[in-house]
Amino acid sequence: MKRSLIAAVGLAGVTALVLGGCATEPAEPEGPVTITYSNFISAGGNEDNLTAIVDAFEAENPNITVEVTTLPYGDYFTALQTDLAAGSIADVVDTDFGFFQTLADSGALAPLEVANPEAYRESLIEAYSRDGVSYGLPSSFSAVVLYYNADLFDQAGLDYPTSDWTWADEQAAAEAITALGDDIWGSHQPVSFFEYYKVLAQNGESFLNDDRTAVAFNTPGGIEAAEWLVNKSGTVMPTIEQGQGTPDFDTNLFVEGKLGMLHTGIWVFGAVADVPFSWDIAVEPGNTQQASGVFSNAVGVSATSENIEAATLFAEFLTSSQTMVDVRLDSGWELPPISDESQLGVYLTKDNPANRQAVFDSLDGIAIQPIVATGQQEMQDIMNEELIEAQAGRKTVAEALASAEERINAVIGG
Amino acid sequence: MSVSTLQTSLVDRAPVTRLTAPVRPPARRGWRYGLTVAAFLLPSAVPLALFVLVPMVSAAWISLNDWNLITPMQFVGLDNFAELIADPRTAAVFGNTLYYIVGYLPLVYVGGLFLALALNRALKGRAFWRGIYFLPVVTSWIAVAIVWRWLLNPNNGVVNTVLGWVGIEGPGWWTEPAWSMPSIILASAWKDLGFVMVILLAGLQAINPDLYDAAKVDGAGAWTRFRHVTLPMLSPSTFFVVVISLINGFQVFDQVYAMTGGGPAGSSQVVVQQIYDLTFRYGAAGEASALSWMLFAVILAVTVVQIIGQKRWVHYA
Amino acid sequence: MRERTTSRTAWVVLHIAVILGALAMFFPFLWTFITSITPGAGFSITPRLWPENPSFAAYETLFTERPFARVVMNSLMLAAITTIVQLFTSATAAYAFSRLPFRGRGVVFAVYLATMMIPLQVLVVPLFAQLKTFGLLNTYLGALLPTFASAFGIFLLRQAVNQVPRELDEAATLDGAGHFRTFFSIILPNIKPALATLTIFAFMGSWNSFLWPLIVLRSPELQTLPIALAGLQGQYTTAWDVVMAGSVISVLPMLALYIFAQKYIIQGVASSGIK
Repeated sequence: MKRSLIAAVGLAGVTALVLGGCATEPAEPEGPVTITYSNFISAGGNEDNLTAIVDAFEAENPNITVEVTTLPYGDYFTALQTDLAAGSIADVVDTDFGFFQTLADSGALAPLEVANPEAYRESLIEAYSRDGVSYGLPSSFSAVVLYYNADLFDQAGLDYPTSDWTWADEQAAAEAITALGDDIWGSHQPVSFFEYYKVLAQNGESFLNDDRTAVAFNTPGGIEAAEWLVNKSGTVMPTIEQGQGTPDFDTNLFVEGKLGMLHTGIWVFGAVADVPFSWDIAVEPGNTQQASGVFSNAVGVSATSENIEAATLFAEFLTSSQTMVDVRLDSGWELPPISDESQLGVYLTKDNPANRQAVFDSLDGIAIQPIVATGQQEMQDIMNEELIEAQAGRKTVAEALASAEERINAVIGG
Repeated sequence: MSVSTLQTSLVDRAPVTRLTAPVRPPARRGWRYGLTVAAFLLPSAVPLALFVLVPMVSAAWISLNDWNLITPMQFVGLDNFAELIADPRTAAVFGNTLYYIVGYLPLVYVGGLFLALALNRALKGRAFWRGIYFLPVVTSWIAVAIVWRWLLNPNNGVVNTVLGWVGIEGPGWWTEPAWSMPSIILASAWKDLGFVMVILLAGLQAINPDLYDAAKVDGAGAWTRFRHVTLPMLSPSTFFVVVISLINGFQVFDQVYAMTGGGPAGSSQVVVQQIYDLTFRYGAAGEASALSWMLFAVILAVTVVQIIGQKRWVHYA
Repeated sequence: MRERTTSRTAWVVLHIAVILGALAMFFPFLWTFITSITPGAGFSITPRLWPENPSFAAYETLFTERPFARVVMNSLMLAAITTIVQLFTSATAAYAFSRLPFRGRGVVFAVYLATMMIPLQVLVVPLFAQLKTFGLLNTYLGALLPTFASAFGIFLLRQAVNQVPRELDEAATLDGAGHFRTFFSIILPNIKPALATLTIFAFMGSWNSFLWPLIVLRSPELQTLPIALAGLQGQYTTAWDVVMAGSVISVLPMLALYIFAQKYIIQGVASSGIK
């Protein structure tokens, strides 16, 4: 008797899982509606900024109430996938570029009727489209730039970096600055998948082949790019043993005035703002061409939402309204994804760093994150692991790339 | 009452040894007795059945499917199990997990026993010291992991600095594949010493002081008393610690996730980290469920062996 | 005389060992605290034992800019309920497994233990779907129900009940006591150290639990402390001083409970401790 009860409840659980993915009939919005929005973008300090945008939206649309839930970025996708599995996904959800592909591929996102697509920066709205149809709206972006400590450059008698710099210029400057003292380092760049596809692009190479079924980096140019990344370690940049791996190691090294150049995102402007030396930023140097890392987030509307119309309205407000632009620029909360650069004037005229134009110049050449149909995360993990093997000297760069090629092809070749 | 009469065989008092039906079923005791048993068991049986056993059954079903949590499941029979068995990573993650247990368990048990004995004595400020030793148990892994990565920093970490004073060149710890698991073992033992200490302290309290007096009268020295009174009388607590530590040890995850993320080069990737990755990062929930059932089988086998083996060494009052 | 000196030496050695060990135990926590009062990023390349400009700003941030008081209350409430219910369900089950023989009891106990052998990571998805059918998502009850019984607690108490001399039960039975009275008046008073131990671990389990509350409690006003602490980490940057301040805060209630509960662990042996 007890056993059959357990079986019956078990069946209910499994049935819920099986039926979880099925769509419910969308109902026409009549009267007041409540939509839910699950986000990670505000976690870690921007909760109040998001509330300001949501309040403005509700004031403009008195019929719509938005219930916001915020989860940390590191755990957000665990919760989102659980929701997808059980069919309890929010109406509007955040995603990053990598997971957007998974969501769009599996039909979890509704095609959006965007009222004003021109409002968005073209490259960004296209990144979240399939065959000209938007499945997500970009909510913000950040660029990776080259930070430099102007005092150390002066000390070494060097010219400051410009947007024309190449790897050779950076290498020469890094060596000169490293020579300044025992605890001074020239240039820091993380050794990771996200840096590697970028330096590949800077060297005119590509991470994947054209139909995205195999990797294309195991070439002389690809090896050269990996060596550029890996060989900084122990020469112009501390090794893993010398302290990398502690949180914010690179930023702290820069803040303490012990690092000449730092490759990182514009999100550390705040952390670097009050240092006692002069600093600025420049576009990251390329080798055969300029290519910069750009990270963006987006919001999508659940395909199973009962209020797709209201949800789309909110998604658009959240990503392109004047309120959003003002709030983001005012608080330095990444950059709004809008096309109208005149609105960004406030941002450009702010000080520290002075050369904010470099952020927008970076967008002229974007290294786009390689995306595969299956095995995205595993591909990234394998690449990270093999690059670190090369950095630690346990493998040569050629060995690491050959091993990465074999392992990644086995995962994505399917 | 002498020590030896207390150490009677416990075959009839250790119910878990009867994993199969007993040779002589207990006499029928009627429906009132049945109601009493139900009244004592149902408060725990109902939540465990509903919220653990039922999801376990669901997980078993999922293990027979291909599922990325988003699109509908596809039944694949035992393919997931076949794939796992063919995948060399499966043996690797079980091997790493076993490595962890073999290093961790003796360290934490011997350390915890020493602590419990020391802090069970008339020590000045005993309550204070106990509190200090318990501190790591309640500190979250996120803070602990960062601190330990710094302590075990190969270049300027405290541990290698101290080793340097005595002329030993410290290893690369978590930056080296050969040392990543020892790093995790060290941090875990440090964190869990207080846990073992608390269990064993409670066990020490339950020992009848008369036994020590009787042993003294018999002329037993300190070591003899420890060997023939403390250890046997502590065996139920020891049994508990070992069973629990093994069950938890096979499911080690938090510290690996926070300290090394399974690296470098997969050298500290453990079974549950693999299950987590497969479920939430690699879109292979079916394979993850299959792997967790394999893990279940291993833990169950190990636990059953211990339950059967306890007759030889566990003494209840 | 000679024995006196050795025991004197042993006494000194013991104290030194305990103190050194305690330093090793305390140091990482001290460092967590120091980081929490170091303004800014905090993770210096050359760690200092005392920050240049110590500041409690991180603690202020915790309590003024975040609903921290609220999440601490939530965590306390959930942990208290979990602990009380688990003490009850564990003690009754432990009594049954120790004192109430029935056919197949060994198998039932093995099934109880088996509930600890599947990692939570694979159970959350089915459990979540199941609670959705019960309509319990985003409710305290949904967070609580799966914590109401714990095989760990049952096993812990069963070991303790097994150590209570059966002569005591038999005496009570002769006095005409039934199982309920034996349970309350003989067994429970005799397993106080184990009950206190379980109180600590049940409370701690709930206080630190992360994955399940993360998944099931979504509304900001329902969230618990570990989730709020994780929420201090952003996509790209993290205020480590605030994270560490949160870690320090989260340790304090547990430490207080431990100090309170351990009085019961050593209760009754103060006079006849093991010499």
